[in-house]
Amino acid sequence: MKKITLTLKINDEKYEIITYPNRTLLEILRDDLLLTGTKESCGEGACGACTVLLDGLPVRSCLLLVTEAKDCEITTIEGLAKGEKLDPVQESFIEHHAIQCGFCSPGMILTARSLLNHNPAPTEEEIRFAISGNVCRCTGYAKIVEAIQALSNRGRE
Amino acid sequence: MGDFSLIGKSMKRIDTPLKATGQAQFSSDLMLPRMLIGKVLRSPYAHAKILEIDISKAEKLPGVKAVITAKDTCADKWGVFRYTQDQQFLPTDKVRYVGEEVAAVAAVDEDTAIQALKLIKVEYEELPAVFDMKSALESGAPLIHQDHPGNINIHVNIDVGDVAKGFGESYYVREDTFTAPEDSYFQGEPYAVVAQYDHTGSLEIWMPNAGPHLKAKPLSNVLKIPLNKVRVRKIAIGGAFGGRSEISPADVICAFLARKSQRPVKLVYTREENSIATRQAHSMIATIKTGVNKEGRVISRDITCHMDGGAYSSTGPIAVSVPFLCMEQAYQMDNIRYNGYRVFTNKPIRGMFRTHGRAFACGVDLQLDMIGQELGINPLEMRLRNARKVGEFTPTKSYVASCGMTETILKAGEKASWNEKWGKLPPYHGIGIGCNSVQTGFPMGIRGGSQAFIKFNEEGGITVITGIVDNGQGNDNMIVQIAAEELGLGVCDVQLVNADTEVTPSDPGSYSMCETFIGGNAVRLAAQDAKNKLLKIASEALKASPDELTVKDRKIYIEKSPDKSISLSKVIRIALSRSESISGEGSYWPKVDSKREWVENPSGQLSETFSFGTVITEVKVDPETGKVDVLEVTAAQDVGYALNPKVIEGQFEGGIAMGGQGGMLSEYILWYNGRVLNPDQLDYMVPLAIDMPRINNIIVETIDPNGPYGAKEAGMSIAMSAAQAYCGAICNAIGVDIKEFPLTPDKILNAIEKKQKVKGDEGSE
Ligand code: FES
Ligand code: FES
Repeated sequence: MKKITLTLKINDEKYEIITYPNRTLLEILRDDLLLTGTKESCGEGACGACTVLLDGLPVRSCLLLVTEAKDCEITTIEGLAKGEKLDPVQESFIEHHAIQCGFCSPGMILTARSLLNHNPAPTEEEIRFAISGNVCRCTGYAKIVEAIQALSNRGRE
Repeated sequence: MGDFSLIGKSMKRIDTPLKATGQAQFSSDLMLPRMLIGKVLRSPYAHAKILEIDISKAEKLPGVKAVITAKDTCADKWGVFRYTQDQQFLPTDKVRYVGEEVAAVAAVDEDTAIQALKLIKVEYEELPAVFDMKSALESGAPLIHQDHPGNINIHVNIDVGDVAKGFGESYYVREDTFTAPEDSYFQGEPYAVVAQYDHTGSLEIWMPNAGPHLKAKPLSNVLKIPLNKVRVRKIAIGGAFGGRSEISPADVICAFLARKSQRPVKLVYTREENSIATRQAHSMIATIKTGVNKEGRVISRDITCHMDGGAYSSTGPIAVSVPFLCMEQAYQMDNIRYNGYRVFTNKPIRGMFRTHGRAFACGVDLQLDMIGQELGINPLEMRLRNARKVGEFTPTKSYVASCGMTETILKAGEKASWNEKWGKLPPYHGIGIGCNSVQTGFPMGIRGGSQAFIKFNEEGGITVITGIVDNGQGNDNMIVQIAAEELGLGVCDVQLVNADTEVTPSDPGSYSMCETFIGGNAVRLAAQDAKNKLLKIASEALKASPDELTVKDRKIYIEKSPDKSISLSKVIRIALSRSESISGEGSYWPKVDSKREWVENPSGQLSETFSFGTVITEVKVDPETGKVDVLEVTAAQDVGYALNPKVIEGQFEGGIAMGGQGGMLSEYILWYNGRVLNPDQLDYMVPLAIDMPRINNIIVETIDPNGPYGAKEAGMSIAMSAAQAYCGAICNAIGVDIKEFPLTPDKILNAIEKKQKVKGDEGSE
């Protein structure tokens, strides 16, 4: 197999990558760029631990060949906070005890961010539906749903 | 309770900002210079002699830096107890389950490592295998371990009172058999180990663990290096649930690969490897015979339980005992006989599990419901009549120093509107209740106690040093919360060094639900020790006696005249200038009976205290599809005292997801000839957000006389009771008692069909 060169735009930074085209975005993020905030749990698209945002939409980076991410805006958990200032979703997860072991948290937080960007007033049911691609083994989801609900415009009504 | 700044408050956890930003490092995130990738070769056979292993081709593959087999190890057998030493981490004579470790490689990258595995030639001679308990127990069955005739691994026998006489005096007696297959932990974080040796020959190692000291000792034994040369390092851990409790072959293999290659090695298990080559929960067949008086009080009980242990002992003696012990703690039983057998089969190894014993516990509870039905007593009332009370002794002679069992039943019942709902719900709606009790620290031998140190810096900030580990439940925060509270400091004044065997003193590990009680007590005592020294110096400066002083907001005050104060930093500087060290030392050893032993002597104080929990579940069953809709769950637990209520609620909610929703509805391992057919997350169904019901949490506080601030175990009683409540509710909804768990749609539909057929037959008569 021949290596290819491509440019990835991750968290507003450009990276020149030389790699085999059969590698997943997850492998590139974790192994080559040391962006280890993105986790691998199932490796087969079932758990959402590897979620990153691609042009603002949640995707499973374990299922995505790196070539498919070319020309897209990629956001990983490392790119969500603006300097010291955490994203409101991150703040809310901390505040509401929505994090236990934290292994699912990066993926879960990014999924929630994307949901709120596209639907600023989700109902509880919409929240549960949106995060049902992200498995959390520790929390039973109650506090995660609360954390997201607290940011829903509806929640504040 | 007293006037606390941090204790009892739902303060934000100190570890979560790093986890929310992706900066927290888990074992597989580590990258060390010159690091190699490890891979394990596993047995394709369930039972086979190993005739020869040829690694010569693999060793020659460019990029391969080490290949190991049993020849590279000391080949000692290891076991949690002296009498259960039966597992070699790389076996020499034979393999005993599909997926057992046979050899391993370390190479420059994953592809090379995988290729090298293919070049290892193993010659096996297949042996007949047994895949279930029934065939393992048959006479003439193939022996899995030569020294265990009949494939019986462990037999625990408890016999208290006079069971036969009890049955004779009973008004009503019934016997039922309950079964459940294995279930899986499915921790978020797949198992990963990173190991390296330094120039002094010390091993440095990171892995998910429920106790760094629990890992260090066996590593030192197997590697034949002194314990102080094994340094298990602190790392973020992605969940445990009982499944990180003992040494894993992965730890040992990774260490041997690092030693042989003289380079750092990382070994990350695939999801499939996590399902077969780390522990699972036991499958179980429990036959329960219970006799009661007219009022529904249990007079006599006889339980025989068989548990499939897989190929090796693991924590077998504990696993066989704990489900029984939880029930004898929860309910009064005077005449009781228990025979628990752990059976060897050619299947992967089973260990401890947060919610294990579903067939057992659900059996005891469901049977109470059945008996109640016969006597016209509702399930909640049945629980109340048999509930454990404070000041009693359990049948195996543990004193119960604090107990809110009755309160949890009453409060959960009220919140769930039990009386309004029981017997009055629409068709195919049901409500069920489950109760349980969990030990807070059982005897762990030399590692039963925990120590903690506290040191000060000149600004008045502290470093707390303890072996306590955090698997995700919030232990790091608990330590800081206690130390800061005792010394009148803010959270930001506390630096935490924990779960690192090189610097932190011994600790039992986050195992047996003891960290808050034992480790937390040690931290509190260390802080009090330091405080006493501080007060002594301050008393000279403030011209008051130490007992007139109090610490708060980084200052020491005279309690009655708060304007007279001295800052902590000043006291520290006075101490430094006099060359008087101020540090704190604390140590706590739980008051348990050290002569109590799981098999030989299951009698005496098991654990210093116990938690008690009740769960009530309301469900709706679709009679067309057998699908269960869980409408609402109410959880109440006596946690002694809630140090951080939100953390405890999180434990309840997680426990309901794992024990109830997953454990009773969807989670089980499927087999074909010793092979796991659903090792991945697509086929093993763990609950998702959309599956989970509304949850009501009720924290009951009994202020345990010896817990730190009165605290004890929090959460596990709920995980176990949830399973029972789910099963009771579903059986109530369909009006049939199903005794095989989990309650999947096929079983529910079959039960409904059978019932309708019986009704139809009756109708046609
Ligand atoms: S690791 Fe990608 S979905 Fe599970
Ligand atoms: S917090 Fe552990 S998996 Fe979600």
